Amino acid sequence: MDKNKQKRELPQVYIDDMLGSLKYFTDEQELHLAIIDPAVCQACEDQPCIQFCPVGAYRAQDGRTVQIAVQSCVECGTCRVLCPYLNISWKNPRGGFGVSYKFG
Amino acid sequence: MSKDKLQYDVIVVGAGMAGSTAAAIAAREGLNVAVIERGVKPGSKNYFGGALYTHALVDIYPDFFDRKPPLERPVTETGFWFLSDDGLVKATVQGGVVNSDPIDAYVALRAEFDPWWAEQAVAEGAFIIPKTLVEDFLYEDGKVVGVKTDRPEGDVYAPVVIVCEGVNNLLTQKLGLIDHDLKISKTALAVKQMISIPAKDINARLGLPDNNHGMAISVMGDVSMGLAGLGFLYTAKGALSLGVGVTLDALQESGIKPYELLQRYLEHPAIAPLIKDGQMMEYGAHLIPEGGWTTMPRLYTDGVLVAGDAASMVNALHWEGTNMAITAGKQAGLTAVEAHKKGDFSAKSLSTYQDKLSDLFVLQDMKQYRKFSAFLKNHPQFMDIYPTFINDALGMFFTGFGKPKRKLYKDILRSLTSRRPLFKAIGDIIAFGRSIIGI
Repeated sequence: MDKNKQKRELPQVYIDDMLGSLKYFTDEQELHLAIIDPAVCQACEDQPCIQFCPVGAYRAQDGRTVQIAVQSCVECGTCRVLCPYLNISWKNPRGGFGVSYKFG
Repeated sequence: MSKDKLQYDVIVVGAGMAGSTAAAIAAREGLNVAVIERGVKPGSKNYFGGALYTHALVDIYPDFFDRKPPLERPVTETGFWFLSDDGLVKATVQGGVVNSDPIDAYVALRAEFDPWWAEQAVAEGAFIIPKTLVEDFLYEDGKVVGVKTDRPEGDVYAPVVIVCEGVNNLLTQKLGLIDHDLKISKTALAVKQMISIPAKDINARLGLPDNNHGMAISVMGDVSMGLAGLGFLYTAKGALSLGVGVTLDALQESGIKPYELLQRYLEHPAIAPLIKDGQMMEYGAHLIPEGGWTTMPRLYTDGVLVAGDAASMVNALHWEGTNMAITAGKQAGLTAVEAHKKGDFSAKSLSTYQDKLSDLFVLQDMKQYRKFSAFLKNHPQFMDIYPTFINDALGMFFTGFGKPKRKLYKDILRSLTSRRPLFKAIGDIIAFGRSIIGI
């Protein structure tokens, strides 16, 4: 047995490639997610939302401005619960909008 | 009161497993039931491993199988796979107790099963209102008398509302039935890929005799990179569902991206050959309320009952949730029927719902396993050290290396004690036992 072998690393994943498998009914009029106070995100050191969102909907523009690709959201709720500053306004999309799983 | 007020006997929020069951039971007893579902159709927001449990399904419809439900494969082999970073020990069972008639569990796809399950409720007389979001409750004299939806003039009235809104239980929180949002140490994020593979290849790769045999596997070890969490594998007819769930606090501390953790699992040398040349059909993510008893809201108040994920009805160790939702949905439906007979929709009248669940596995198991989520958090070695040890120990036992057996046994023991002192390992086993016995 070779105990010195390297642990397997995390692979790099392009989440946008995976999102192509999802079906959405995009609400063009209303966004169900919003950042409450952008200044709080600017000052947030780790910006963990960019890491933990399972569809990579949170991205930092210009270095520190957090933006949400709301149309990618699968309504899991992780961001609402894990944002260290509770700085995300989270609602369900309006009826009939949002993700629509084909298989589940 | 305007005469065109939309009035039902019962409103059910959410057409998932709990909701459509509650609706069927209440409608069967002659009540006028509306199920309000925010998705374009039932199931479109639902995502699980996963398998459904026959006992719960047949309890609602004794002729369940004659109704031609959209199921994938029966679970004829189930158990644990323990992954080390490059090895795999399979501890699964087939035949024997698992080969029951009918089989205890079936793999299903929620986007196909939930609409069908809702149709059965419609056949009982329930009315489904899709594409409609319940935003709040309507109150009279401080008591819930209906719901406010996002439709124009969308107020709907009923003396009892059964809330089956799922894991993000914002309505339940709004009612004050629980005083906090989901807790990060007691909620898991599960991410999954469904990968299309020809049925004959699935059978060959997993050693299944034909398409009427299938697997439900819990995967421990390298899959979660030591985080509190588990992987899973389920066999659909022509697809494999593979996913990994980790608690939110572990995910936060690790800094790992959930989809990278999943991809790493799929690239494991023992997993990758199973999905070779497969086509990814769907990726998705969902939260699992794993706190059980410790995060359960109050289950009733004036004019309201809560069931399913919204009520934290999940057994994280045994992968149960849909069966609890069905059983609780049934009891909620029955409680609504009784309340109508009494003409009393007060919290006191509806409290019989909790009594019913206390007599059943739902609340008994939730109470018994109340320490399990804390156990997982405090014993990460079950996700890391022990699965690797099992791989090393079995591997060494069955390989000679030309050394005396006395030395072999010492090496096996050392492969444990080099990672975890023996007394601590014994303590871990006792702690696991306590967490599942509930003492």
